[in-house]
Amino acid sequence: MNAATSLPVPTEEIIRARPLLGTLVEIAATGAIGRVSHAISQAFDAIAEIQALMSYQDPASELSRINQFGFTDPVPVHHHTWTVLRSAQELSATSRGLFDVTIAPTLTRLGFLPRHANFPRASRHGDWRHIVLLPDQRVQLMRQVRLDLSGIAKGYAVDVAIAILQSAGIHAGRVNAGGDLRVFGATEQTIHVRAPHAPTQTMPLVQLNEGAAATSAAYFAQRRHAQRSVTPLIHPYTRSASSSERSITVLASNCMLADALTKVVQADPVQATSVLAHYQARALIVEHDPVSGGCHVFDSLQQARAA
Amino acid sequence: MHKLSPWFYTPALILPAVISAPALGVQYLNLEQAQKALFPSADHFESVNVNLTPAQRQQIEKSSGVKVRVNEIKAWRAKQGDSTNGWFLLDEVIGKHELITYAVAIGLDGAVQGVEILDYREGHGGAVRNANWRAQFKGKKTSSPLRLDEDIRNLSGATLSCQHLTEGVRRLLATQAIALK
Repeated sequence: MNAATSLPVPTEEIIRARPLLGTLVEIAATGAIGRVSHAISQAFDAIAEIQALMSYQDPASELSRINQFGFTDPVPVHHHTWTVLRSAQELSATSRGLFDVTIAPTLTRLGFLPRHANFPRASRHGDWRHIVLLPDQRVQLMRQVRLDLSGIAKGYAVDVAIAILQSAGIHAGRVNAGGDLRVFGATEQTIHVRAPHAPTQTMPLVQLNEGAAATSAAYFAQRRHAQRSVTPLIHPYTRSASSSERSITVLASNCMLADALTKVVQADPVQATSVLAHYQARALIVEHDPVSGGCHVFDSLQQARAA
Repeated sequence: MHKLSPWFYTPALILPAVISAPALGVQYLNLEQAQKALFPSADHFESVNVNLTPAQRQQIEKSSGVKVRVNEIKAWRAKQGDSTNGWFLLDEVIGKHELITYAVAIGLDGAVQGVEILDYREGHGGAVRNANWRAQFKGKKTSSPLRLDEDIRNLSGATLSCQHLTEGVRRLLATQAIALK
């Protein structure tokens, strides 16, 4: 086979990055010359749309409308918001509430999310079971819970961006939204994570050519609250913030799942194994070992094999 | 990790490799590519050099709430034939862990049309400056079974604050409104 028949169309790889979803979103794509940049722009536009719908910070977002009025009246929502809420509810049911999008009041109290002066006071006795998805893509709150989709919407945005690249005829691509990433294409890509105790250090963790990885760790997200260091990783049962020094990476078929499952593993690594198995996902927990200076890696798949 | 040990098998001890500054960096686009990405239909870019006067500086700081550190503004008019499509501004922000070169496209209506990153260079965080911490990695690089790939493209878990970038965009919006006509 000569070069002319094996490569009928010259290709190029373009990598671009934009500040979206509260982080730097990077999109890489390889495809026919002249078509790649436009496909990347379209993918960025889709992510921007999802941000506008599901941002907690933005008082004009659809999510803010649910938080503000969802208890009084059913709120009709966009297809994207509906898909994310439906998946969140399913994940909550499967994980028995280890995944819960109603932890926003705790995040606000700790200073991770802004206060919205005009929002009604959040109930202390509500959880994911008080979100009701009605026909015609309408959302009703049965208690005055407050939703934050940041633990799942970022992964969803990555999935949508990947779908746009694929439908634009891109051969291989990668979307990385600050730790939630998904790849497709023929070549394997090595996924690196930061060392949990020293985030400027990175290490190769796993190889992927199709699928998603999401990493959750507290190293860049800690802040001081009431004289102690807290993280935005909230346990849904106790509503207390984790002070864990481990990083959790979940590998799954899509990024929304991977993103959400990191919270399940963070909340309860032991109970999480059956949830991971249900979704055919895999978790890798990296924990610093102060004695050796290295890191231990705990693998849920190894546990499944051993059992 | 006593709680996990019975459940999770420990296959390997990974030693993170020490990276020298600039630890991680990537150039996404050069100037021309960024201009084309933000204004695909423009056919040329007219450079406009502006040095902010003290009064303008003050005005920008007041209107954006962000400190102005550099007086020279790097701006271009995006032209399509004789007509102007908008403004292209090039700027840099320094965050806690990173230096970011970025460009903002501002339409003639004064609204942001897009933000594109040109360069991203991540510096050292606090942990690495600590000599004691660094000492424990000394000599371990060569013995590490895992090769460090100097590539952040596949880095999972890189949730860096984009706050400085957001502030930069706000500052440039005010700059355009006040100093670029």
